[in-house]
This record gives sequence, structure tokens and C-alpha cells, in this order.
Amino acid sequence: MGSAWKGPAISPAKVKTKGENFTRLTGEWMTPRRRFLSALYGGRVDKVPAMTLSSVVTLDAMEIVDSWFPEAHLDAEKMARLAATAHEELGLDTIMPVFHSQLEADALDAATWWGTVDNWPATNDHVLTDPEDFKIPSDYLKRPSFKAVLGAIRLLRKRYPDVGIVGKVYGPWSVGYHLVGIENYLMDTILDPDKIRRYLEVMLPACMMSAHAQLEAGADAIMWADHANRELVSPETYRDFLLEMHKEVTVEMGGPSIFHCCGETTDRIDYFAEAGWDCFHFESQVDPHVAKEIAGDRMSLMGNINNPTTLFSGTYEDTYEACMKVLEAGINGIAPEGSVPLGTKIDVLRALADSVRDYSDTHRPDGRLVVHNPPPADHAAETD
Amino acid sequence: MAQLSDIANEFIRLEIEEFLERPEEIERNVALFNRVSPAMQDIAAALIDGDDVTVDRLTREALDGGVGALEIMDDGLIAGMGIVGIKFREGYVFVPEVLVSARAMKAGMAHIEPILAASGVEPIGTVIMGTVQGDLHDIGKNLCIMMLRGGGFTVIDLGVNTSPAEFVAAVEEHRAHLIGMSALLTTTMPNMAKTVEAFKDAGLRESVRFMVGGAPVTPEFGKDVGADGYGKDALACVELAKKLAVEVN
Repeated sequence: MGSAWKGPAISPAKVKTKGENFTRLTGEWMTPRRRFLSALYGGRVDKVPAMTLSSVVTLDAMEIVDSWFPEAHLDAEKMARLAATAHEELGLDTIMPVFHSQLEADALDAATWWGTVDNWPATNDHVLTDPEDFKIPSDYLKRPSFKAVLGAIRLLRKRYPDVGIVGKVYGPWSVGYHLVGIENYLMDTILDPDKIRRYLEVMLPACMMSAHAQLEAGADAIMWADHANRELVSPETYRDFLLEMHKEVTVEMGGPSIFHCCGETTDRIDYFAEAGWDCFHFESQVDPHVAKEIAGDRMSLMGNINNPTTLFSGTYEDTYEACMKVLEAGINGIAPEGSVPLGTKIDVLRALADSVRDYSDTHRPDGRLVVHNPPPADHAAETD
Repeated sequence: MAQLSDIANEFIRLEIEEFLERPEEIERNVALFNRVSPAMQDIAAALIDGDDVTVDRLTREALDGGVGALEIMDDGLIAGMGIVGIKFREGYVFVPEVLVSARAMKAGMAHIEPILAASGVEPIGTVIMGTVQGDLHDIGKNLCIMMLRGGGFTVIDLGVNTSPAEFVAAVEEHRAHLIGMSALLTTTMPNMAKTVEAFKDAGLRESVRFMVGGAPVTPEFGKDVGADGYGKDALACVELAKKLAVEVN
């Protein structure tokens, strides 16, 4: 009777360490989707996942699949094809189809410039001065930005049932930057804090609708970004304006949550963990050892690979080495710290998946040697 | 030697006592605020507090009382902004507080700038400032511009989403030698390199100096893209501009 195992080959090998014999599996026994989700919750994995939790689209990738910016932002098929290069070309465990940060703001009537082939979209005019004027359009989820993203997620879910699909939501703090303008918004945190609280209150339902729609379309998890970062505001600002709201979000979202906040966030990671986020996607300015010490078992940590110096300006070897250093810190998964510059070379990005493969061949994600349960007896017999 | 306790304005005294840590900065500011008049201390205190209405009123009153525009700018507005800059650098205040103080400074400068422009004071140099192509973020750039103008520079603000060709054209039009490029996004930072390349192509690279800054920008990245200097914040930007201006003047 043959094995029921249909996955990739597993090669048990005897490894001797500290006077003990045990079995180590050098093969992969998890699908990328299962690996990503398990790591997201801080669970058991066969190797550390290498992911994209932002955009890894490059000009190289656009050429490979003949899908180009800016058309790919508003066309589900082109978006799906381009996003899938994260898995097909880079070997990453996730696909993230929302390349830009305009999804909610555009559908809420912000003036969007969709960019060019080598420039990112941006909001170029701000439409809101009073929270009482804010309305969610009746066709909000059917507007072009949502139509493309939700369509792309459905296509990707169908085409890649075993790969992690990550959705992206800009939370009310960041949508506020787009709709109100960042300068006025930040000044009002001091001059009129109640107005900011009201903005957050009225915008939150639009962000939750976006999260629910992406999960329903097939996303495995939502990367939620609210840019209350150190370069802009104090940790107390996060605590006073967002902490309680995020506690509600993490309960009500209805799916695994990954929080993203740019920059040097060491002084607020404790608040992020308290908010109940399942995972924090963090930037290279944060020491991963320190982040792990603060987060403990309350929240998993992913990201940390530097974009401008390592991925964009560095070589494959630079990136491989940087990944190895981050992996040594024992975080739950590696990924670029944010959306990579479009001129980043695809060969450099391939070091992400290569490094976790090599690292996990000799290490468990917690830095120890791999110790797995032996495979079923009939399967072991086949592969021995 | 000037003493902290000799400073007339209590708010200024407390600010120096509570927020300044570096001995040379304490000494410099104690000496500065001992030297300036109580009226200028009041302007500086209102600016640090972000009170634009009071800065506006006190500036008008000082000008009406015969105080020179340059004195109000240096001893009141810039002196106050210097304390704000140190508090920002040290993490005591963040961008919202700096923006509110900048708004107060703008209220004062609205009275000062026309007078200085009419008096024919020679600027230290002309700086072309812009956020690079594809990037629409301008808070940091605007703060730098305000401090550069306060520091004696003429600044041409190209705004956001500035193409390399626009930087080149502005340098040619204004015969400027200093360029400041800002980027907030890691996705747009490479356009700094493209701008430097455009100056090489135009045969202008040797005659200009590039300053770069922005939240994700590092000194190392600045070197990689061929810039001549990196400024961590608006205060550092002014110091860098003064240093580079000596090289090209």
C-alpha cells in the first residue's frame, strides 16, 4: 500500500549533535500558505517563510509578465499576473496584490494620480476639512480601485490555493493623511484632538469594509497600515488616538491581522502588541532582537529587510547576508520592510527565498537544529 | 559668565533647563537669551509654545516700536525655533509640535520678509529645493525651507514630484549652486540618483552641491546616490547648506 503523501519529497537524515541522535527532515512539508499562516500566529513551521507583505513589483517583473504600471493598478488580471511574480519568480510564500496605498482613499473621492510605469500612485489633492462631511459612497466597494483589487484576489485565490494571499488596508489614521492632508491632520492632533478622534470614528467603517471585502474575496490575512510612526508622532499619540480603536479592529476584522507602521518603531511595539495584532511587519531601523524581546509571544514579527541600501543598492550576496542576520534574531518571517523601489533587481530579491531555504536546512526558526516528528513509516520506507 | 537664572523669561528658562542636555548647547542658549531683549524672549517663547496669534502680535509691536526686522528674526524667531529643533532632535517633541511652531514662525516672518527683501540684504546663497519625482510628501522639505530662509538663504521651492529636468532647469535659471532633494518613500529614493545623473549629463555636476534628506534616507544612501551631504533634520540642513555654500562660493 503506497503512501497518501502527495507533497514534495521528504528526505529524513540522521544528524548527531550534543551526543544525541535524532531525525531531521531536510524536505519541505508545508505548503507556502500553511507555512505563512502558521508563522503569522507564531506556530510550528518547516522553514521560516520568506514573504512579501508589501509590493515586490519591479520593472524586471513587469517585463517578465508583460503587465505594467499604471494599468496594473486598475485591471484585476494584470494586477494578479504581476503580483504572482512574488511566488513564481521570487519563490516567496505570499502574494500581495495591493501594490499602492490608494485603495480606500481613491474610492472615498480623493484625487488620485495613478503614476507612470516607473512612478507610484499618490493622492495629489485633499478633499476633506470637516469630519462631518465624510461619507462612504454607496458604490464604495464597486469603485475602480476596489474592483481591481478584489478581482485580483479572487483570481489569485483560484490560481494559487496553496500560496498565502495578503490583502492590504490603510487604516483611518493613514486614510486621514490622504483625505485631509498630512500637515493639517498632524497639527490638529495638538490643536483640535477631538476633531481627529471624530475623523477616526467616521473613517473606520470604510477601512473595516475594505478588510472584510478582501477576506471574503479570498485573502488569508490583512496587512493593516496606520502610519503613526516615530518620524511623525510620539508613542503616546498612538496610545491616545489609536490603541483602543485597534483593539476593536483586531477583534472585529474576522481574519489574521498584520500591522504595519514605518520607521523606527521600537518605542511603540509594546502598544502594538497590546492592541492585539497577530503580527507586526517592521522596518530595518528596528533591531530585530530588541523587537523580539518587547513583543515576546504576544505578537509575531515579520519583515526587517532594508529596501534602499540592501535590496535596491546592494547585491544578491549583500541581501543574503542581511537575511541571515535577521534570521538569527529568530523572527517569524523575513520580508522587505516595505514596497521595494521599482528599479530593484529581481536577482537580488531572489536572495530572500534562498536565504531561508539554506538557513532552515540547518536551523529551526528559533535558532536550534531542526527536530521534527519522523514521517509515516510507509513513507519513510519509500524514501530511505 | 551668563547664568540661566539671569534670563528674564521664565518659560525660556524652564525650556533650557528641562530639554537641553548638551553642555555646549546649554551654554550657547543661555548666552543668547541673556543677550536678547525681554521682548525678543517673549517672541521666542510664544513660538516654542506654538502660539501663532501671539507671535504675530508681538512681531508687529516690536516692528512698530522700532526694533529691526533682522533682530526680530534672529533673536526672536530663529532663537525660538532653535530650541524647538533641539527638542525635536532629542525626541521630546514630534512633527505636530514642530508644525505648530513653524506656523507661528510663519506668522512672524510674514511681517519680516517684505522688510528684509526691500532692504537688499545679500543672501548666503540660493538653494533649489524639491521633493523628488513620484513623491508628494513635503513636510520635511517645507520645514527645511523655512529654516534655510531664516538662516539667510534664498530658497527656490520646486514643490513635490520634481523631475530631474526640473531641478536642472531651476539651477540654470537661478544660477544656484545648492540643491536639496527630499524623499519620504523608499520607492522614490532612487530618483535622487537619477537627478544627480541628470546634472552629470548636463555638464553641471561639478558646479553644484547636493543635499539629501527624508525619513528613510541615510548618510550611506546619500553617498551611494552621489550626494555631497545628508541632513537628518531642518537644523542639520541649514548647517550643511552653510558648509557647502563655502565650497561653491
